[in-house]
Amino acid sequence: MNVLVPKTLAETVFGLALPHRKMEDWRWTDLRQLIDKPYPPHQKVTASAQDIDRLVKSSPFAKMAGARMVFVNGHLSPRHSQLARENVATRLGSDEPVLQMNRAFATDGAHLKISGTTDMPIELLFLATRAEARTVATHNVIEVEQGASATIIETHIGEGSYLANSVTEIRLGEAARLDRVKVELEDEDAFHLAHANVTLGSSSALNDFTLTSGAGVNRQNSTVEFHGQNIDAKVSGAFMLGGKQHADTRLVIDHQQPHCSSRELFKCVMDNHARGIFQGKVMVRKHAQKTDGKQSSHALLLSETAEFDAKPELEIFADDVVCGHGATSGDLNHDHLFYLMSRGIPEADAKSLLIAAFVGEAFDVVVNENIREALAAFSNAWLTRRRRAR
Amino acid sequence: MADLDTIELVKNIEVDKYKYGFTTEIESDHAPKGLNEGTVKFISDKKGEPAWMLEWRLEAYRRWLQMEEPTWARVSFPKIDFQDLYYYSAPKSMAAPKSLDEIDPKLLETYAKLGIPLKEQEILAGVRKQGEKSTLDDEGNELITGRVAIDAVFDSVSVITTFKAELAKVGVIFCSISDALREHPELVRKYLGTVVPHGDNFYAALNSAVFSDGSFVYVPPNTRCPMELSTYFRMNAKNTGQFERTLIIADKGSYVSYLEGCTAPMREENQLHAAIVELIALDDAEIKYSTVQNWYPGDSEGKGGVYNFVTKRGDCRGRNSKISWTQVETGSAITWKYPSCILRGDNSRGEFYSIAISNGVQQVDSGTKMLHLGKNTSSRIISKGIAAGRSDNTYRGLVVAHRKATNARNFTQCDSLLIGDRCGAHTVPYIESKTSTAQFEHEATTSKISDDQMFYCMSRGLTQEEAVALIVSGFVREVLQQLPMEFMAETQKLIGISLEGSVG
Amino acid sequence: MLEIKNLHVKLTKEERVIINGLNLTVNAGEVHAIMGPNGSGKSTLSYVLSGREGYEVTAGSVTYKDEDLLAKSATDRAAKGVFLAFQYPIEIPGVATMQFLKVALNSQRKARGEKEMSTPDFMRYVKERAAKLNIGPDMLKRSINVGFSGGEKKRAEILQMAVLEPSLCILDETDSGLDIDALRVVADGVNTLRSPDRAMIVITHYQRLLDYIVPDFVHVLSKGQIVKSGDKSLAFELEAKGYAEYAGAAA
Repeated sequence: MNVLVPKTLAETVFGLALPHRKMEDWRWTDLRQLIDKPYPPHQKVTASAQDIDRLVKSSPFAKMAGARMVFVNGHLSPRHSQLARENVATRLGSDEPVLQMNRAFATDGAHLKISGTTDMPIELLFLATRAEARTVATHNVIEVEQGASATIIETHIGEGSYLANSVTEIRLGEAARLDRVKVELEDEDAFHLAHANVTLGSSSALNDFTLTSGAGVNRQNSTVEFHGQNIDAKVSGAFMLGGKQHADTRLVIDHQQPHCSSRELFKCVMDNHARGIFQGKVMVRKHAQKTDGKQSSHALLLSETAEFDAKPELEIFADDVVCGHGATSGDLNHDHLFYLMSRGIPEADAKSLLIAAFVGEAFDVVVNENIREALAAFSNAWLTRRRRAR
Repeated sequence: MADLDTIELVKNIEVDKYKYGFTTEIESDHAPKGLNEGTVKFISDKKGEPAWMLEWRLEAYRRWLQMEEPTWARVSFPKIDFQDLYYYSAPKSMAAPKSLDEIDPKLLETYAKLGIPLKEQEILAGVRKQGEKSTLDDEGNELITGRVAIDAVFDSVSVITTFKAELAKVGVIFCSISDALREHPELVRKYLGTVVPHGDNFYAALNSAVFSDGSFVYVPPNTRCPMELSTYFRMNAKNTGQFERTLIIADKGSYVSYLEGCTAPMREENQLHAAIVELIALDDAEIKYSTVQNWYPGDSEGKGGVYNFVTKRGDCRGRNSKISWTQVETGSAITWKYPSCILRGDNSRGEFYSIAISNGVQQVDSGTKMLHLGKNTSSRIISKGIAAGRSDNTYRGLVVAHRKATNARNFTQCDSLLIGDRCGAHTVPYIESKTSTAQFEHEATTSKISDDQMFYCMSRGLTQEEAVALIVSGFVREVLQQLPMEFMAETQKLIGISLEGSVG
Repeated sequence: MLEIKNLHVKLTKEERVIINGLNLTVNAGEVHAIMGPNGSGKSTLSYVLSGREGYEVTAGSVTYKDEDLLAKSATDRAAKGVFLAFQYPIEIPGVATMQFLKVALNSQRKARGEKEMSTPDFMRYVKERAAKLNIGPDMLKRSINVGFSGGEKKRAEILQMAVLEPSLCILDETDSGLDIDALRVVADGVNTLRSPDRAMIVITHYQRLLDYIVPDFVHVLSKGQIVKSGDKSLAFELEAKGYAEYAGAAA
């Protein structure tokens, strides 16, 4: 039954085929259906200085000291940036759909080479200002050299209807260390299609956290590859979704070499008609003996119409390993709620406390206290907005 | 104590070849090779089926023609030429055996070799008067002890069903599907295909068109079936696909426990086994279905082994109904099966307990689906996969709670044990929760037999192989305990045998 | 303070009746012990009084401080001064003990129209009471009950009582899982809270706790009813004879 499917309007404008639900990795996110109008790339947009300033200030990390690179509608804004582009090249070759899109449409991105120890966090801020529906694509390449360490924040904020396509490539050299935080706060009317690829050198360490809370449709495809031994990687994430938001994170942890460890923790909160999807795969290749890999994903459904789908996969070809994964899904624990209420805490407050505690566990992977506090503040603001909306 | 028994058994294991690999020279009736509407008519004719049954088969055949073979499982095999198979092969002496004399002695010999106690008394219990007690088999290799009613199927044709009369006394119908079509057509028509419809999947459509026989069970309301029911399948003829169909109905408030055992001789060409099992449990009824599968796995290159593509599904139609699947899969070159439960009735429960062992170059892609539809439904999945040699062992599961499935509960535990570094063990679970009141919990682990454990066993005198069998036995204990007692001992032996050569 | 009249309670999801015509009057300043065999309805009584879901009152009434207690939510009952010390205190990862106590106290004060306590005042207030129960600042920083031993959990419940200052304290098998030393600390904490304005219901299976928390009244609960009442000597009688005599007592 190989019938040629006619191109959708969006596909015609893109000149690319979009992934659909008959493809295993996209079974729950049919982009061909979801992207129901054209988002032409390479558009010229004029953005007012007030809009840009306002959006820059709205980042949860605006008040934190640090060096910034600000991209407005896909182009570096030197006025707001303290860092310049360096000479590092892309090495990604895969055919992954989001990556293909980016190769065709990316206009700019952060290219950084980090050596030595940087005390202050670096924030890469990607803004989309209100304009005609369009695609804004950026491509980042970050190299952390041997023995170096850094804290990098990637913040995505926007207003209006647009499709943000973001690819981040990270390479850690031997004994390098990276603390990375990505915060996706696009407009509810926007798409955020992202691809992240991290390759880790021997004895390196990665602490990676992603907060997914803005876009109407978010697809985050991330791969972490172990290109050495004695590597430790911690990857966490949190979804805070409401309305009709749809977020699909596909994470592949690829243990290619022995003596490495990985820990993943995803906490997903879905309210109203939101739908969260977590596809976490832990692969242990044939000679990756003594791998220690654990993954867990937990979903909290706050309304009768919220949904959660998970596919926690294990693909193991080495025997001397300890791997596991766990996934749970449910609503707030009634015993916990009763306990708090029986101490006089009103139901709505008790629920907020529990939801904050639930999501907070994923924030723990972030080492920098200021960043953690900013995340906790965001989480509390989300909960307050949620309470007011009821 | 179970542990001591295991140790004893393990000590007595012989390094054995697949001992069911013999063939029986017997005269068989064949349909002409290949598959077309004519073949379907031939089969229906041979069985003297009513017209509606032929039409049902033809519908399935036509549907099959429009479908494509599925390719999503983690298994690879050379393309099957569906026209190069016989779709019907029956031992010639099959016209209604009324007494022992009418049954081909070679057949009886075959079953005796397999250790099935088809002794005269047992057979005659279905043919002669009551009051005859069943005696235990006095040969050494006894497969089944105690009273178990058996439907023996040889090359897709039911040879004989024992204890029919005694079961009939309490209203339990246990016979071949062919017999059921003759004696209880309204029952068959009411339920056949209601759990696995024609169009469900490629192999289901094929089976619906050409199935030749299988077991039929009906347990009337408020009746606890007085004995274990069992079907023993044996594939003998060359180049024949085995397509049997089992249909079990437990009416309100009834209980039945059923065991399926399978073997096949060594062959050079791969043999196809595409079966369908449909279970229906009405209000307050319970069906326990156990399978011990040891089809020929193929030679060291996987040639000649059985392709086991089975669709098994249980429909918990009634309130408080319960269906549990227990399987021990140690054979087949390729296993592709997902015994599932549709939890339709409120408060219904589905269970799945599985041990899947792969060695040599076997490929297993097996698991279960639990569909929570009704309110307050619950499911439990315990899967133990053991991969050795160069095999590939995948657990694939689906747990879904639909929007109206309030308070659905699921607990899943899938553990994999890898022996050696040339095999693969994978888990691919899909969890879909569309209601906030569903509580799902899923856990999976992968590990190996620790060197400490091995050393401890060996320092107490066990050989490496015995140590492996013992440790594996402990690993799978939780599932083994679900099997009917009669089959536990033999199953443990089977596990030991299927893992031989896996270490070192 | 508390008047229970002819209370009948069943589980919402089942037909089984657990409390079968219970009558009890508790006045301010009194300590009542309720003893009974397993399954007699002791925990159910404590849950029904504190407002837990899953129970249906089919007959009878509960009046607390002249108001209908059953008509109030769990939160409201707490604000009015009802406190249940759980038999199995719940662990809530991610919610620090100190933070929890502050939110609880201030929520209750707000509900009563009282002024909320400032953070520094509150921390002093809690540390004072915690010290008396051998609870150090480390424990206060940890998530509620997470990683606490059985004894630590019970002490944490008594700390909550000391902080929230309830009028009606219901102690559900506070002694279960405790050794003698832990028991003494817990009992001392409870005794410190005895006052003419406060009433306590101590639910226990064993007489031992009552050596330390000496009751004014002892009641035997069997099959959902109070079948015998007496003073503290009744407890010794039960210790000696067991509950067999009362096993068939309820109608």
